[in-house]
Amino acid sequence: MHEALVVFRRELKSYFLSPIAYVFGVLMLSMLLYYAADVTLVDGSQASAENLFRLLPSILLYFLPGLTMRLWAEERKLGTLELLMTFPVTIGQLVLGKFSASLVYLGCVLLLTLGLPLTLAAYGPLDWTPVLASYLASVLFTGSFLAVGMFWSSLTRDQIVAMLLSLVSLFVLYNIGDPAKVEAAADWLPWWLVDVVSAISPYRYFQSVARGVLDTRDFVYFACFCGLFLYANALVLHSRRQKG
Amino acid sequence: MNPMLPHAPRDRAQERGAALAVLLHVILLLAVIGQLVYLASRYRVRVDLTTDKLWSSTASTRDLIEKLDEGLVIQAFFSPKEKLPVTYRTTRAWADNFLDELVQLGKGKVVLQRLDPNADKDTADMAKRVGIKPLELKSSSSTSLSVDVHWQGLRLRYGGQKQKVVPQFTPGSSLVAEALLTPAIKEVITEQKRKFGYMEWPAMTQGPQGAQGIGWNMVRSTEGVAKRYEFQNLKDEDGALLPPDIDTLLLFRPKDLTDRQKYVIDQFVMQGGTLVVFADAAEYAIGPQRTFMKVPMQIDAAGSQLPFVSQLATYGLDWRPKLVADMLANTQQPRDQFRAPFEYLCLAQQNAFGQLQNVPAPYGWFFHAMAQPWATHADLFARNDKGEVDQAVAAEYRKRFVPGMPSDAFLFSAFKQLGRGPGFYWPTWAGLREKADGVPDLPAGVRGSVMLWSSPAALVEDPPQMVNPLGFGTASQRKDAYDKFSKQMAERYQSAPRLQAPLMAEVQGEFVSCFAGKERPKRPSQIKEEEAKKAAAETPKDAPLNPDTGPLSPEAQQQVERAKGGAKDAAKAVVAEADMLAKSVKPGRIVLIGDADFLRDDFVRGDYAQGGGPYSLFAGPFWSQLLDWIAEDQDLVALQTRGVTDRTLRFADELDGPKQDPRLAEQRLRSKTTLLRLANVLVPSVLLALFGLSVLLVRRGQKRSFLAAQN
Repeated sequence: MHEALVVFRRELKSYFLSPIAYVFGVLMLSMLLYYAADVTLVDGSQASAENLFRLLPSILLYFLPGLTMRLWAEERKLGTLELLMTFPVTIGQLVLGKFSASLVYLGCVLLLTLGLPLTLAAYGPLDWTPVLASYLASVLFTGSFLAVGMFWSSLTRDQIVAMLLSLVSLFVLYNIGDPAKVEAAADWLPWWLVDVVSAISPYRYFQSVARGVLDTRDFVYFACFCGLFLYANALVLHSRRQKG
Repeated sequence: MNPMLPHAPRDRAQERGAALAVLLHVILLLAVIGQLVYLASRYRVRVDLTTDKLWSSTASTRDLIEKLDEGLVIQAFFSPKEKLPVTYRTTRAWADNFLDELVQLGKGKVVLQRLDPNADKDTADMAKRVGIKPLELKSSSSTSLSVDVHWQGLRLRYGGQKQKVVPQFTPGSSLVAEALLTPAIKEVITEQKRKFGYMEWPAMTQGPQGAQGIGWNMVRSTEGVAKRYEFQNLKDEDGALLPPDIDTLLLFRPKDLTDRQKYVIDQFVMQGGTLVVFADAAEYAIGPQRTFMKVPMQIDAAGSQLPFVSQLATYGLDWRPKLVADMLANTQQPRDQFRAPFEYLCLAQQNAFGQLQNVPAPYGWFFHAMAQPWATHADLFARNDKGEVDQAVAAEYRKRFVPGMPSDAFLFSAFKQLGRGPGFYWPTWAGLREKADGVPDLPAGVRGSVMLWSSPAALVEDPPQMVNPLGFGTASQRKDAYDKFSKQMAERYQSAPRLQAPLMAEVQGEFVSCFAGKERPKRPSQIKEEEAKKAAAETPKDAPLNPDTGPLSPEAQQQVERAKGGAKDAAKAVVAEADMLAKSVKPGRIVLIGDADFLRDDFVRGDYAQGGGPYSLFAGPFWSQLLDWIAEDQDLVALQTRGVTDRTLRFADELDGPKQDPRLAEQRLRSKTTLLRLANVLVPSVLLALFGLSVLLVRRGQKRSFLAAQN
């Protein structure tokens, strides 16, 4: 565990020392908050941060691949992956360390959106519990998208390819959880298949938690989803290590 | 094969083995995940964190299910989900979820039977016979057009006898599922419908189809209400006493009341009945162009000896037939000014694109009570023209002002969550009888309370002839007329004292009849009879034999005979009529509500919504909750009060104050909104950028010092 913590610290530090992370953070925050504030801060409307969390998944969809593409692909391109492999850490610890560092970094960016709910609370009786549940849902959702992005990054040394693969897969995962699109798909696909496919999407479970309902089913899903992709990530790295 | 193991050299066979092991790992992992997800969905723990418990069934449903003495069988006539069209599949999911929840709550008392009418002709016949309506949906392809029959209805059977059919059960959410099904369960387990008597005096207005009477039919016939309550019109021209099976009498805008009608009402109260009066001080009709016109109206009929106002005063109520306006801007704001700006009154104004748009236009006589502790806002009303607070006046106000919705009755639970009462339109003063010092002056044995108050910015006047704020003509002419009207009203308000007007009051206990010691008012038929008898008595007995005058004409003869017969009937009726009760034989209850318009058909139907209001949006919920409150039936309160907490954002001061210029207020609001939005976007981004910049600068400094140290 200690080794994973060392990897985690190293990765987190690299985020906070890298200008790209700040550019990424600033861009994502301004875009998210610009649209969210525009529709949320309206006198006479209801004090609810729903719009912020409705926008968040689509914003993450476009920004996350940019962040995850470098996680392994850059290491491979710079040749530091081999160096990493020589460290006295297991591949699982490496994957966990990187994953949690990215998640914490994104969590920090998410925390900077707290100003919006605080403003709402200052001018209206905001119900905080769904807001907190939405933050929790956002972290879980971000984690699941991160795991997917990391997996694609581990497959290639080209960051652009990793980004495109992530973008496409996240786009699909996001859309199959969108109720409107699910209904549209149900016109030309068998209903059982639509049910199964939409049950894979993290977006569906994000919506469930974000409305303010904590359900063990949703948490089990997120744990399984992240676990599966992180495991696949570790397998890919392991096979690379074996190949030398 | 474990990815955590250190690297070891392998040959080709080993590689194949490793690949196989990886594959097995993945398959096993997927199987484990599948099992986990399955188990997690079967054995769930679910916590609804929302304050209003928006995603859980309400106490109403839980309590109703708990109250079941016998088994409730729900027959779900559902055709297979996978064959349903897309738009109905979601409704099926909500329906299934809620039905499953009911079965769980029932702990064996609720049995769900799923029947597919499409699979079996007998089931389809039965579904049709019991009243389930199939969904006949057209589907088309490039070569064919067909009508598919789908089923999604429910039949509830309670105790093997009572049944209730929900012909089509297609909820769009869990909230709707509960709102549809719980009242149906309530209906099926209710032994008997509660009966309410009513009398109404509709207004005659000039509509598109000529003169028409506008009454209060809409609220009485609303599905949710009509399912549980029965209404009987008891307005009898001959003033018969009310039947004993009626324990509640509703009076909608009483006017032209004869003494006999007042006697009937009085005796009803003396017998322990509940009287609810929706009072209006004046009658205003709304013309085709939303022009408001006063219609002549008298509360008491010509020749009436006892004014109705005095009658109510005998019971401890104070109805002043004056018009109440509330000049505080917040009380005149519609609940949802974006989606329903027409709740009160709107003016058509040009927007930025040159299109006419309805914009709420405050109109003092259309307002709602607010759930505000007005004493804490005393300073707002004690400001002089310079805006300074007169401390002495403020101190006096703090003592005098009362909360806008002081009652704890469950009737107001939902409205308190909204922070406001129902909208009233040209309301009147409806309070408790008071002594000179303002202390309630209730008769012995009677207790009462005021349940709704206006804000302290009330303007109480005799009903004006002219209440039309819009005038006639083009949009700009109407705007000018409105400005002039508002200015005049504001001037009248400035010179009036600051006071709160009561808008709804209740008294209960043992009353003394206002006819005690007086002669019982005669029925119209009785009066006619006596007049006829008198006329007959004045006619000479030997008239038919008098050769000068001649015999009575056949008509006159008939009249006399009728009069004789009528006199016998009237005498019988008077004999049958119970003796006058001089005081209550059991405790009665009287509720006085200072408005009848808010329940009027044209207001409830939204006849004027498109033109810019008024539209009594809260009449329905208030009415159904009022009936439950009168009937002391709390079963559906939790359902009705669900998720209605008012969370409105207010960027301006909580209360605008009656003296504020609305244009300045709007400008300030716009600037504040822009500032808040900018701050929300820029502050976090700039903070992050500054932090990043400082880290980079520190790093650069460290690097330079390192390089300098190296050199």
